Amino acid sequence: MKEMKLFLGPQHPGMHGNASVHMFVDGDIIKRSYLLPGMLHRGFEKQMERKLWVNNISLIPRVCVPEPDINEMSFATAAEKILKLEVPERAHWIRMIILELARISAHLMAYGGLGGPTGNYTLMYHAHVDRNLILDIFEKITGARVYHQYIVIGGVRQDLPDGIEEDINVFIDDLERRLVEYRDLGIDNASIVKRIKDTIMLPEEVVWELGVTGIGMRSAVNKPYDVRKVVPYARYDQVEFEVPVSDYSDARARLDIKIKEIQQSIIIIRQCLAKMPEGPVRVKPDRGQSMRWTVPKGYAYAPIESSRGEFGYYMVSNGGTSPWRVGVRGASYPQGLLGIEKYLPGTRIDDAALWVDTMGICSPEIDR
Amino acid sequence: MLSTKFTPKNKMTKAEIDRKWWEVGDYFRRNSLWLLMYCTGCCAVELPPSMTSAYDMERLGMGPMATPRQADILLVSGYLSLKTLRRLIYTYEQMSEPKYVVALGSCPINGGIYHDSHAVINQLDQYIPVDVYVAGCMPNPESVLNGFVDLMEGIKQKTMNGWKRYHDHFEWYKENQKNSLGEVIVHDEFHQ
Amino acid sequence: MTNSINNLELVKELVSKTTTILKEENIDVQQLAFEVNTCDIHHVLSVLKSAGWKQLSYLSAVDWPDENKFEVVYILFNWDKPVYVQIRTKIDRENPSIDSILPIFPGAKYYEREAHEFFGIAFPGNPDYEKQLILEGWDDIPPLRKDFDPSAYSDRKFPSREYPQDYSVTDEKNHSLEKRAERKARAERLRTGGKKQ
Repeated sequence: MKEMKLFLGPQHPGMHGNASVHMFVDGDIIKRSYLLPGMLHRGFEKQMERKLWVNNISLIPRVCVPEPDINEMSFATAAEKILKLEVPERAHWIRMIILELARISAHLMAYGGLGGPTGNYTLMYHAHVDRNLILDIFEKITGARVYHQYIVIGGVRQDLPDGIEEDINVFIDDLERRLVEYRDLGIDNASIVKRIKDTIMLPEEVVWELGVTGIGMRSAVNKPYDVRKVVPYARYDQVEFEVPVSDYSDARARLDIKIKEIQQSIIIIRQCLAKMPEGPVRVKPDRGQSMRWTVPKGYAYAPIESSRGEFGYYMVSNGGTSPWRVGVRGASYPQGLLGIEKYLPGTRIDDAALWVDTMGICSPEIDR
Repeated sequence: MLSTKFTPKNKMTKAEIDRKWWEVGDYFRRNSLWLLMYCTGCCAVELPPSMTSAYDMERLGMGPMATPRQADILLVSGYLSLKTLRRLIYTYEQMSEPKYVVALGSCPINGGIYHDSHAVINQLDQYIPVDVYVAGCMPNPESVLNGFVDLMEGIKQKTMNGWKRYHDHFEWYKENQKNSLGEVIVHDEFHQ
Repeated sequence: MTNSINNLELVKELVSKTTTILKEENIDVQQLAFEVNTCDIHHVLSVLKSAGWKQLSYLSAVDWPDENKFEVVYILFNWDKPVYVQIRTKIDRENPSIDSILPIFPGAKYYEREAHEFFGIAFPGNPDYEKQLILEGWDDIPPLRKDFDPSAYSDRKFPSREYPQDYSVTDEKNHSLEKRAERKARAERLRTGGKKQ
């Protein structure tokens, strides 16, 4: 049969972000495919080397756009590991609240993104409205809607404002009630369940071959492989939560885990608000001048569980006022690049967009 | 006896008739703008809130459009790396006229936070004409919508004629594009 | 996990049995770093993989122009015995080349392509490491090397906006004096309620 070239993106309603999937198709079936990344390349790793440690805090949230806080957290923990800096107790809990709110917002965006490839736009509208409420809470806490620059080296920038606990409680209670509705609209919706059930499977051996982490991995291997549980950072070892898993990884199972993770995040936030102690929220590194402080020589890798998998900064310092090298391990690197090349062939054209959506591929963190 | 045939005293010239038709066209056009969804950068993450129920762009008569040939507005949402700029120029040239360019964020204005980056251009209006800039990193949905209201007002005042500038200074734009990009044509494994 | 100390010991024993360790660091209770000789890299990685460290978390390089070396970094992880292991090795900066680890970790393919693109390190064994991945039509030295200046490249290639007035501070000392005078005048105004005396 004749092979035809087809590309999905960069300007395509079913594509998330500015990346392009190039496919060689035979009829409906993909024969060969690969991702063309690099359209969001900004040279972050080079720019971080040229800026002071403090300046970098304003640069790094831009690495991953839907969930910017993981960048701040990863950068801060990596630097704290080299500095051997102890963060105040309250700051850990505030960080967890911020990270879990960000996880809910990213999951809602990804879950609503299902509306694009399946044509179920009601779901998208609902999810974005709820996400907007999270952005409002962020605006109250940090002053910005999307790029917060809130988690800094040595704690968080400022304490929580008065009365924010009530706002968060109202929101998460409301969201918890609506999760049932989300199930009905999305994964249990008869009009799209055929598209997402038993399609784009991810077997266990493929997970190990690609190096997929996050929801993709947990949905296939049936074990709670979550960085929050396995290598706990902040105070995740002091809260109780479950890691939803499954042993049959199709698009529906992965979306199901997304909804369950939102539920778990709500439980974590409730515990954080209850257990959070009073006290200072930030310590200064106290090495040199107020802005031009230094970090001792050292190497550190700081893994964080993002909504898409293990996200981490590899940081090298040579004792200067700016980092010597910062490498970003994007969580969607394996499934985005190698997954599309090796695993998409054999599936149908319309499954490509679903793969991108349910595996959680975020193109800015692939390109940096 | 007067003729039954209607003959106006001052016959309108062709240019005048054209102008009238443009005015009528502009009236309808500015009240139903179709927006090309090309999410070039991070400002695109504020577009879903402004498009969905929270800020509801559709009350201004605007909606997203998937193909460039039927869209009126090219929305440049954020920084442009060289690789994107190449595709953006493709997309811009595919759009049918009249077409308007709205640039979000501070990066298309002067490079923003990426002013010294090796991959991000500093000034968008060197390569394609820009009608409305919305400053901010990133601009709120309110300011995004305000930018569109400005665009509508500008279409009414006939100041949004970037696409005419692109015709008039085509050589200048092409030269700038070539200086920065090397060549505008995409060369890769797929396009051979 | 409860027995993380035992896991650290296990990794140390594994690595020290297979090769000579040039340098060893304890970064964290769950993170270890080893520097080994370049020829031993594949051996160490395959031993660790068979012991359960089967996820390649990260592969990249660091530029050390003073020593005239590139440092290649491999980070491995085992989900059952949670220890992150960094394996580092230094290679020459002139004509840098290190054999691909594709037979051991198929997931390294794109990391190696990226390292080649940004540092110019060759990975023989990886079938298409020389294909362009992220950059398109790059015409300078690899951008993440320390001797590459992105600011100069940006100035040369991309025209910047010229502003009619220069708001940048040229004389820092005078500027601070002016500011102090301004502050004083403002405090004076506030004290007198805006009335002139």
